[in-house]
Amino acid sequence: MSKLSRRQALGTIGAAAAASTLPGLPALAADRSIRHFWWGNPERDKRTFAVIDVFQKNHPDIEVSGETIGWGDYWTKMATQTAGKNMADLVQMDYRFLFEYVYRGAIVSLDEFIGNGLDLSNFDEGPLSGGMVDGKLYALNIGSNSQVVPYNTRLFDEAGVTADPINWTREEFATVCEQITSKTDARGSDDFSLAIENVEGWVRQDGRDFYDADGNVTATPEDVAEYWSYWKELRDAGVVADKNKTVILDPSMTEAGVVTGDTAMSTYWSNQLVAIQGLMKDPVGAAMIPHKADGAGRAQFIKPSMFMSLTRDAKDKEAAIAYMNDWINEPETTAILGLERGIPANPNVREALAPDFTPAEKLSVDYFNAIQDKVGPLPLPQPKGAGEVRDAFMRIGTEVVLDQMEPAEAAGIFIEDAQAIIDRAR
Amino acid sequence: MKKFLARNGPGYVFLLPWFLGFFLLALGPILASLYLSFTRYDMVGDPRWIGFDNYQYMFERDRRFWKALEVTFTYVFLSVPARLIMALGVAMLLDKGLRTIGVYRAIFYLPSLLGASIAIAILWRQLFAADGVVNQILAKFGIEGAAWISNPDTSLYTLVVLAMWQFGSPMLIFLAGLRGIPRDLYEAAEIDGTSKRRQFFRITLPLLAPVIFFNLVLQTIEAFKTFSSAFIISGGTGAPADSLLFYTVYLFNEAFKFFRMGYASALAWVLLIIIGFFTAVSFFTSKYWVHYENERD
Repeated sequence: MSKLSRRQALGTIGAAAAASTLPGLPALAADRSIRHFWWGNPERDKRTFAVIDVFQKNHPDIEVSGETIGWGDYWTKMATQTAGKNMADLVQMDYRFLFEYVYRGAIVSLDEFIGNGLDLSNFDEGPLSGGMVDGKLYALNIGSNSQVVPYNTRLFDEAGVTADPINWTREEFATVCEQITSKTDARGSDDFSLAIENVEGWVRQDGRDFYDADGNVTATPEDVAEYWSYWKELRDAGVVADKNKTVILDPSMTEAGVVTGDTAMSTYWSNQLVAIQGLMKDPVGAAMIPHKADGAGRAQFIKPSMFMSLTRDAKDKEAAIAYMNDWINEPETTAILGLERGIPANPNVREALAPDFTPAEKLSVDYFNAIQDKVGPLPLPQPKGAGEVRDAFMRIGTEVVLDQMEPAEAAGIFIEDAQAIIDRAR
Repeated sequence: MKKFLARNGPGYVFLLPWFLGFFLLALGPILASLYLSFTRYDMVGDPRWIGFDNYQYMFERDRRFWKALEVTFTYVFLSVPARLIMALGVAMLLDKGLRTIGVYRAIFYLPSLLGASIAIAILWRQLFAADGVVNQILAKFGIEGAAWISNPDTSLYTLVVLAMWQFGSPMLIFLAGLRGIPRDLYEAAEIDGTSKRRQFFRITLPLLAPVIFFNLVLQTIEAFKTFSSAFIISGGTGAPADSLLFYTVYLFNEAFKFFRMGYASALAWVLLIIIGFFTAVSFFTSKYWVHYENERD
């Protein structure tokens, strides 16, 4: 340990004391600080920290500290911080939790900042309205996406698939699975039996919704039984992933069939195409969730993939809004962010990004454009308890996948459980 | 008072760090959780008093609560005896053959140190996966293994095996207990031509009873509280099909996934009562089977 002389020690203490009595010193100005909290993955974290560096370079008086964690733990930490009145100034928000946080007063309206720090003059109308609650803007869209079935183009070519993956039907999807299984060394698709997002789409294809406006479960046991039976047939035919792979819940992207090459297709959100391509050798393709032949509705919709919200615990709101504004308007920042969080809602940003697109990025944008007239309206936010319904779906679905329960019986139990969960969450 | 302090003072001084921790850090949250167990509290809003509703729901309507009890009790009744037998077996081997070799003790203790860690749980998941090492070895012998972890019928047993493997701390205590048994008893038995088996049941086990009792109580409490291995191996949800829904995993999910802090607090108090009950039963029955050498009967 280096020795500190008495004189040095006194000097340091004296200087510190002097500094604290002199307001306006640069050292104190750094007190202007904001915290930004998001759920991420390595790629997203890298880009976000780069954005923070750019912001601090442009605003030397504001210090930004970034906090990141995976999706699974994000909402736990967020709830803990909310309870402890210690929320970050800016938080990443998801459509399904938006209403909950607004009604509890945890996030505040951005209306007073529009045109007053927050420039929305170049912002698409649709994505903007997704962040509104009761006519007020609470969440700024930082990207849009839609459901996607990423597929391995090499395997599709080898199997000689001719079906159009944007307009295909459930029956064609099943045929493609058979083709791939018989003509390549991979199976057709991952088994989507445990993906509740897909059964919700299945119900929407009949022109109905999984939940009604009051949050009650309107999907029927027949809907769910039909869905599980469809996948059971494919499973029994051996053209989708092995059941033991399917029952691993929420596997990481590296374990997805399309990434490992075990199968040719998986199910994801379209902003994840870039990350999926990053893990694959073969070029990835983008297909829609198969349509119902004469369905009355559409499975897919354009969804705000992520929002940024200002919390009630934010102290320096001006600094936070300046940071938020850069996310949608400042060229250097938007260039770093690219499409990783979804398609940006500012047309100028999209235009500026286009020349430098990687093939996967170009695919995401092309896919996004191709599906525009094949998607339905954005459903209402899911009711409280929907996350738990998702767990119940996977739990009961596991027994169907493992052949321990018939689809019809399991579907009856699931719908009953789902409504009970919703009732309890009220 | 002076006499009391003179006799017990040093003891309390040594206990002081624990007392400080308990009163400053633990007591408040414990009392708060008792209060919260009578409320509905989602962490964001304020707690709302609902009387005994949480407890009523738990016992009358919550199927997953009963499932969690079933899983946990099965685990406790299988893993505690298995671990104790394993621990006693290894302790006796070390006591007999390798008295002087401390290094073996350390090696055998190692799994227990590692066992609490996240890494081992992940390793376990890999070992027993459908294409994991265990099945690859079985395949060498022409046996087709099951998907141990992802099959609800077998997943719990992989955790029992994990528990067995972590026999270190009861093993050390057994070892100390074995050392305490007077050698001349064995010598006398030897001279009388008593078989090893008989020596074990007539000398070792009875004289070890207090140590067995101690280990039993400790390990039972430990087993009821099992969390991290089950949490990791089940992916945090109790999957597959709730076969790994340990009580603590369920409690954690209720609290930190679904934000039902009130209900989770109620679950915690019920667990406390269950553990208290089993500890009490152990203590109550102990006078019939635990023999303390310095006691007169």
